Amino acid sequence: MKQTVSEKLFNVFNCTFFVLLGLTTLLPFINLIAKSFSSESAVISGKVNLLPIGFQTGTYLYVLQNDMFLNALKTSVILAIVGTAVGLFVTTLTAYPLSRIQLRGRKWILLLFIFTMLFSGGLIPTYLLMQALGLINELPVLFLPAAINVFNMLIIKNYFEELPDGLEESAKLDGASNVRILFSIVLPLSLPVLATIALFFAVAFWNDYFTAMIYITDQELKPLQLFLKELLVASSGEFLKDNVDAALNTTPQSIQAASILLATLPILFVYPFLQKYFVKGVLVGSVKG
Amino acid sequence: MKSETASPPGTTPATPIKRGFFAKLAADIRRDWDLYALLIPGLSLLLLFKYAPMYGITIAFKDFNIFDGYAASPWVGWKHFAKLFSAPDFLHVFENTVIISFLKIGILFPLPIIIALMLNELRLMLFKRVVQTVIYLPHFLSWVIVSGLFIDLLSSNGGLVNKALSSLGMEPISFFLDNSVFRGVLITSAGWKETGWSTIVYLAAFATIDPGLYEAAKIDGAGRMRQLWHITLPGIAPIILLMFILRLGNILEAGTEQILVMYNPTVYKVADVIGTYVYRMGIGNQDYSFTTAVGVFESIIAFTLVIAGNALSRKYLQRGIW
Repeated sequence: MKQTVSEKLFNVFNCTFFVLLGLTTLLPFINLIAKSFSSESAVISGKVNLLPIGFQTGTYLYVLQNDMFLNALKTSVILAIVGTAVGLFVTTLTAYPLSRIQLRGRKWILLLFIFTMLFSGGLIPTYLLMQALGLINELPVLFLPAAINVFNMLIIKNYFEELPDGLEESAKLDGASNVRILFSIVLPLSLPVLATIALFFAVAFWNDYFTAMIYITDQELKPLQLFLKELLVASSGEFLKDNVDAALNTTPQSIQAASILLATLPILFVYPFLQKYFVKGVLVGSVKG
Repeated sequence: MKSETASPPGTTPATPIKRGFFAKLAADIRRDWDLYALLIPGLSLLLLFKYAPMYGITIAFKDFNIFDGYAASPWVGWKHFAKLFSAPDFLHVFENTVIISFLKIGILFPLPIIIALMLNELRLMLFKRVVQTVIYLPHFLSWVIVSGLFIDLLSSNGGLVNKALSSLGMEPISFFLDNSVFRGVLITSAGWKETGWSTIVYLAAFATIDPGLYEAAKIDGAGRMRQLWHITLPGIAPIILLMFILRLGNILEAGTEQILVMYNPTVYKVADVIGTYVYRMGIGNQDYSFTTAVGVFESIIAFTLVIAGNALSRKYLQRGIW
């Protein structure tokens, strides 16, 4: 089709705009990568832009050998795995009965769940509850309250509702119990949505610093995001004490940069899957609520 | 739609005689007991972690102290709420919250719509997909990471932005310590993180517009601009309004998780919002009753706004969030 001059001009402008937008998104990363690989003198003098100057990998070796970093990493990995498993389990178990219309009182139970999306007791009453339950400085506080996620539950429930009825009914006639039907018929048919929700949970647990900031004061139990947050606020913290500048060709700035990038890596690894499934998930969520 | 499941063999079909809800429920539970049992874990977590704190709201009406506990702490009525509206502290924080929220809505709400419209005009599918992949990414990073990126980018020692400023002959700016620019930092970083991702809903809405309308417009000689104005925009208007209502419900949530990572005492004056204030006064200073009152105030306003927004949406747009 023929384009008018103004349309051509617009296309040029539009493409240029998106190239710039993409660069704006990527530049901070490129800059940070450059800094994490640059030598001490180059970083201190503020010369590093988009390429490393005085290339070195000592910063990464330092971070990856640091006990505090490794400890925080360990907590985060455990949290992401256990939290995702528990969250997926509880959320799926809840979604199934709520997807069956023969469940009497279904509407009321659903309302009970959805109401918590609109109204909450707030930070302080929740904090006092955790204190009363003895969950302060305990790992479960980081995943148990988040295990029942109403938004995720609704997505799974909607998916279950879309499945064809036939298989389930014939299983019922054969005398299979509801639990049996869920595990041997419904779940194998629902792997795509289960994978999606597992990723939802894993990313949420990996990225959460706020819960840990409220409930965890024990240094041993702090997950990676909280550790990084404290690293950003006080760049002269414990982490950097053991004479960084003397022994290594690096700076606190480079160490921050390397730590941030290392914490981002897992997200980058799952990003291709995330993009595919999250787009679907967000659409289901926004259309059906 | 699912039909009512037939009674399993061996049980008599439900009699048409009218029975009470609970009698029917009891019969159902006896028949499908395992289906009801599946609800137990989720329902117990919900009651424990979501509903028990709602009972905890009562301490907003008491002078709570940890030794007396919930029951024994003395009732004080509306005292903490009265304090809320007279404390200059809170009024200041409230003002910050509203200002930051309005700035975010005013600037960051239209942005994804414009960018989605522009993305929609990209004809090279591969290029479009690459752009989408790149601009969705920041959504998946935590606020800690985003904050780290911006601290580095805006630092006055070798930060790219300040280098650009000085090459233009301008003075370097301490973005994170300057009361006159810090709100700008908050809004820019929030935009950087979420704008790309927010385009998804609008891009999906474009797909629901009848392609026949565009064909007809082309035959009538309408250019792309006219098509955008007369077909695309009206086509996504309901979604825009819906998103706007949802956004309004969050007006008192100015970005607590973001601000908690990015702010510092130097910029409290312009960046301390309700969420951060409750965190510092509640968890930090253990002023439990007062901060619970603040939280209740916030929850009730948010709840009212969503309910009212939904009612308006149902009345004027014939569609609601639920």
